[in-house]
Amino acid sequence: MKKSTNPLPDQPPRWADQLLEWFVAPHLLEYIQGDLHENFHKRVAKVGIARARREYLWAVFHCLTPFFTKRQTIKSSYSNQPSTVMLSNYLTIAFRNLWRQKAFTAINIVGLSVGLASCLLIVLYVLHELSYDSYHAHADRIYRMTMHARMDEKDINLAYSTGPSGQALLRESSGVEAVTRLRKEGAFLVKHGQDIIKEEKVAFVDSNFFSVFSLPMMKGSPKNALAEPNTVVLTKTTAQKYFGKADPIGQSLTLGNLGLFRVTGVCEDVPSNTHFHYDMFGSFESVKTGDKWLASGAYTYVRLREGHSLAQVETISRGFVSKYIAPEIKEFFGMDFTEFQKKGNRFGFQFQPITDIHLRSDLDDELEANSDAKYVYIFSVIAFFILLLACINFTNLSTAGSASRSKEVGIRKVLGSVRTQLVTQFLTESVLLTFFALVLALVLVFLLLPSFNVLSGKQFTVNDLVNGRLLMGAVVCSLVIGLLAGSYPAFVLASFKPITVLKGKLQIGGRGGWLRNALVTTQFVVSIGMIVATIVANRQIQFMQNKKVGFDREQVLVLHDTHVLGAKADAFKAELAKLSSVVKVASAGFLPAGHTSQNVDGVQIQDGARTATHRTKGYYIDEDYLPTLGIGLAQGRNFSKAFSTENTSVLLNEAAVRTYGFKNPIGQQISTVGDGSAGSKRTYTVVGVVKDFHFESMHQHIAPLVIFYGKDNNQLALRIQTNDIPTLLQKIEQQWKATTDNPFAYSFLNERFSKMYQSEQHISQLFAVFAGLAVLIACLGLFGLAAFTTHQRTKEIGVRKVLGSSVTGIVTLLLTDYLKLILIATLIASPIAGYTMSQWLRDFAYRIDLPWWAFALAGVLATIVAVLTVSYLAIKAALVNPVKSLKAE
Amino acid sequence: MRRSDLGEFEEVVLLTVAVLAPNAYSVSIAEELEIETGQTVSTGAVHAALQRLEQKGYVTSQLGEATSERGGRRKRIFTVTALGGRILNDVRQVRNRLWDRIVPQVTLKWN
Repeated sequence: MKKSTNPLPDQPPRWADQLLEWFVAPHLLEYIQGDLHENFHKRVAKVGIARARREYLWAVFHCLTPFFTKRQTIKSSYSNQPSTVMLSNYLTIAFRNLWRQKAFTAINIVGLSVGLASCLLIVLYVLHELSYDSYHAHADRIYRMTMHARMDEKDINLAYSTGPSGQALLRESSGVEAVTRLRKEGAFLVKHGQDIIKEEKVAFVDSNFFSVFSLPMMKGSPKNALAEPNTVVLTKTTAQKYFGKADPIGQSLTLGNLGLFRVTGVCEDVPSNTHFHYDMFGSFESVKTGDKWLASGAYTYVRLREGHSLAQVETISRGFVSKYIAPEIKEFFGMDFTEFQKKGNRFGFQFQPITDIHLRSDLDDELEANSDAKYVYIFSVIAFFILLLACINFTNLSTAGSASRSKEVGIRKVLGSVRTQLVTQFLTESVLLTFFALVLALVLVFLLLPSFNVLSGKQFTVNDLVNGRLLMGAVVCSLVIGLLAGSYPAFVLASFKPITVLKGKLQIGGRGGWLRNALVTTQFVVSIGMIVATIVANRQIQFMQNKKVGFDREQVLVLHDTHVLGAKADAFKAELAKLSSVVKVASAGFLPAGHTSQNVDGVQIQDGARTATHRTKGYYIDEDYLPTLGIGLAQGRNFSKAFSTENTSVLLNEAAVRTYGFKNPIGQQISTVGDGSAGSKRTYTVVGVVKDFHFESMHQHIAPLVIFYGKDNNQLALRIQTNDIPTLLQKIEQQWKATTDNPFAYSFLNERFSKMYQSEQHISQLFAVFAGLAVLIACLGLFGLAAFTTHQRTKEIGVRKVLGSSVTGIVTLLLTDYLKLILIATLIASPIAGYTMSQWLRDFAYRIDLPWWAFALAGVLATIVAVLTVSYLAIKAALVNPVKSLKAE
Repeated sequence: MRRSDLGEFEEVVLLTVAVLAPNAYSVSIAEELEIETGQTVSTGAVHAALQRLEQKGYVTSQLGEATSERGGRRKRIFTVTALGGRILNDVRQVRNRLWDRIVPQVTLKWN
């Protein structure tokens, strides 16, 4: 028979041996293998090598039974007892240990609890964001119908649909169970008895609104409350505001110019996780909604029948365009539908799941500014990383701290403790520690909740935290963290060999060293990146706040809703102008910051034979406006009462002059398109050019602006000159109260201006907070690393001192190691942070250059923090008397 | 005695351990059994039986000397314990009593 490849011909097959060694229990292996070998040699002599080998193999396979493979279990006398007996001992020892190393315990607990607390807060935020509108019954079948169009090469995406579209859908599609509509008509001055209160949150809804949306009615019928015109349902809080404890049903309120409304119901307040928040729901019949498809609009919600697909409804809605809209095109645009389409124009409807509105919808005219799923992702990732970093730190610190417990492990092992017991002991300790951290984290969350609410713009209460499953989740989560983070130190400690440990040698270190270094470096990369982001965001905000905006925003007071004065406005203005600290008063419905009127029109420029049309924003101002806001003139003149032709005069800004291509703007003619009808077309003469001013946020370049002469009395702007603003406000309020009984409201232009950049400020604050957290966690990590290495190098330091090294020399030696890590971290973080922040800056038309010193500053800051953290340990280690550190051999 | 927990093969192995004392180990037991029964007995079967016997407390073992053909691995030498001896005795007595009660005519017929 052919000899196999085995190099030793009279040996059993090697691989069979290996197989045997692999699966047979170690305590049986020796004699079993010996027996098999002995037998093999005897068989070789009797029946020859080949057959002996086959038999050997056969014998090996015979050993493949649980009989031989089952590992020996150590029969410990404790193992049968219930573990609670030992558990109390573990807890006692754990408490003693934690108490003995107070500083270490404190650092460990603080680090983890900061991580847990920020994670909890973020989870609170993310869960709330994700829960929007999911509480409605059948939320999965409710969709919002939205309208999308393309006109004049411009996309229009509206959050609402045309007025009749919902009813048409209900009529023509069998898959639609219910359609409900909502209209907003802006703010109302609501009159009740003598009180007039401005209500911003008023909606007009179909009578089935409360059966589609789960807003429980406390009083009144959910089905019929809004069936009649001029009926209104109030939320609980609003009803209380107007009627106190009295029964609001049947009472009446006056809603602005819509007249008297009868209260027919009271509903619960709209939950915070809804994409709309209204205080009053008037009946849909109370407001006029046109029946033209192109000249009406309502927020339209559709509930599908169970089991019906959206696709069928979408198909039917596509049919609406040719069926209903096409006939109206002629009427509104003066061309037929095919011509309309040929120009690239189109119409269409879309449906968005109601649960997607808050996070995924960014259309024009949303009911409220929505959030963005992007933020939910970013926050989740940040939460995860913070928790991860905290856990890694926890592991690192525990492992480092366990170095001092090697003797204890040695003794325990000598006294008969088995691996599982030691592992259980150390896991108990780390779980105990995480629970301490959890308690501290909860305390932190309670303390931070108010400021977190400011930062996140939510209203979380302690109840949100305690009620929900969140607390349960947190407990389970910290149990898991305790077990996971504790398992590494537990297994490392339990695997100590008693002899070496009791001789005074440490076994950890070495292999784990680079890992610890890498972790600390990563933490510093994150910290430095965050610091850079904070610096850049802050600089950009400062830049925007301080940039010359082209108008003087200091000492400008804005009075709101002055249109209610009606005919008395001029008299009121004259009265105000008489006040000593008021320099000038102007009608200022249009303002470059905060609430403003809007006007966009097509402007036609005659350039030789060619006519060019530009969509341009427009302002309507009076002659006092420019001086009041301190907007400068570049050429020509301001409007003036002295000219009778001002109704056909117009001012341009410099951007408009550039865009229109005027070399000599004064005296040029422009005409507006209006709504296309002949009557709305007008021609104006340019009489002046104003210097460019930022009438939109700095995200946009200064656009062309046409300024017409007119009065927009929605707001009044007052240029004031006083240090005693409260007295002035009092005087103005007196004047106001004397003229009208409507509520008095005001704001300052500079505050309105700052508010424009609120989201940027939020981002900058968030960066700052996370930078702080990242630095804190990184410092804890560094502290753990430093504690560990200095402990390991105690002898080395002793020897160095004996040989004449100075304290400074040793401290420098110890510090250099960490400074290297930070230098590497800076090098890694700089390009990442630089790239990310330049992307962020790209959103601004007016932005700073990336400040390169920011990277250096971040590096230096990180270094300082690191040096402060480490030097305590380094100096302590360097000051130890070498006699002490060397004698323990 | 609990007769049922001693299988036939186990009983034979246990007897052989007693026979080969003080040098009873798996290989020698397997050889001895082959000679006595004339059938092949695998070492693996003997291993299993010995281990069961040890679990039941009928034999004890300790590691003995190593030989070169074993690759330097030590033998496991088995000896019968007092309990094992008593069990063997019990089994034998049960058999003897039964044998004794067989009427001679019956045995004659077999031959």
